[in-house]
Amino acid sequence: MTVQWWCSARGIPWRWHWQAYPGVWIIVLALGAAYARWSRPLASEASQGERSSRARLIGGWIAVVLVWASLDWPGGPLGTGYLASVHAAQFLILGMVAPPLLLRGLDPARVAAMMHRGGLISRVITAVTLPLLARIAFTVVMLATHAPGAVDVLMRSQAGAFLLDMAWFVSGLVFWWPLVIDVPVREHFGPPMRILYLFAGTQAHLYLSMWLLLAEFPAYGIYELAPRVTGLSAIEDQQLAGGLLLLIGGTYVLAVISVVFFRWFAEPQAES
Amino acid sequence: MLALAALLIVAGCGVSAESGGRAYRGVMLARAIPRPDFTLTDTHGQPFDFRAKTDDTVTLLLFGYLNCPDVCPVHMTNIATVLHGLPYDVSGHVRVVFVTTDPERDTPAKLDKWVTDFDPSFIGLRGTPDDVKRIEAAVNVAPAVAGVPDSSGAYEVGHAAQVIAFTRDDSAHVVYPFGTRQADWAHDLPLLVRVK
Repeated sequence: MTVQWWCSARGIPWRWHWQAYPGVWIIVLALGAAYARWSRPLASEASQGERSSRARLIGGWIAVVLVWASLDWPGGPLGTGYLASVHAAQFLILGMVAPPLLLRGLDPARVAAMMHRGGLISRVITAVTLPLLARIAFTVVMLATHAPGAVDVLMRSQAGAFLLDMAWFVSGLVFWWPLVIDVPVREHFGPPMRILYLFAGTQAHLYLSMWLLLAEFPAYGIYELAPRVTGLSAIEDQQLAGGLLLLIGGTYVLAVISVVFFRWFAEPQAES
Repeated sequence: MLALAALLIVAGCGVSAESGGRAYRGVMLARAIPRPDFTLTDTHGQPFDFRAKTDDTVTLLLFGYLNCPDVCPVHMTNIATVLHGLPYDVSGHVRVVFVTTDPERDTPAKLDKWVTDFDPSFIGLRGTPDDVKRIEAAVNVAPAVAGVPDSSGAYEVGHAAQVIAFTRDDSAHVVYPFGTRQADWAHDLPLLVRVK
């Protein structure tokens, strides 16, 4: 059995033999512990039958499990060194799906209390989750971490692959914070702005997915030169990656935009 | 296996030559290798005179074996994929010849299926280990070395990982180590076809 701290591209033939990635376990355990701490009141509300709290709590734990599944064997090493399509799925999980579920699963009162205390963490969160800044940061991270040069260099080392995974997850938290968490209060960031924010913030995904779908040759050396795992060629695997980003990612963003829109649409009726 | 690739006798990575004003992406050889003169057996059991049958073509010669887990299938896939996308006035001048370094396991039928699955025009050749060693020496690549069989009897064969590109002037000026991308082949093959 091979033990690696974190998944990285090794260039050896894929085998369905389990491997240990203790770095992944440490990160996921830390994430789970932090989440348990920050969702404790929700857990007690859920145990008293509060359905909304239960849904938030379940969503948060699903996020933790998704993060673990995307980073540990077999998804982690497959996405790091063999299949661009799995890499795309990892991005969707770490940057798009897990962060909002996790943020929504936090106890709102506890988050509000932390933010109102005004400490260093509060000030940093307030600054980086400024919608314009968060959108730019998310787009820059998205583009930089999908550039062939960056992927082919970073994924060859455990530290590089760790950096890339964490960049997706952290930038995802930053991007989704203004949409999911109501503190700090941003009065001008109402539903129309949120829809625009989501739309603009995910445009880079559209271009990236189209580029992956239409490229004449495989974009990433790591996946092109890796021993094949499935019957898909490198270019077919890349097209599948582009398709996943376009269809799954696009549908997901559209669904979130629809939720924001219909909630906004329902607001005046509720008031009247 | 990759360590053997380091035994390449090359002028140095990144060195390029001009062909029609454009640089190759392959690795330039300090001294050109003449197209070797040898005869092996093809997958139909017929003698294959390499020099005569590949005359006036760009011939990509590579050594490997069917159980190769990485280098051979990646090279063959990449070359086949690019050839399928190139115009016929380029691809029609290119021959791909694969010499097995594991003739014991690579039977004619298996070798035939394997090479033609990549492209029906690809040629698979077999010979005795001594024949293959002589050819490897003639084209300046490290000789293949069979590994120690494991408990199931399976073994790997260390072999040269580069593809040697003979042009129509009957010499190889460029080789393509493992790591050559499809975009590199698409760039270089039209240039190689132009060399006369």
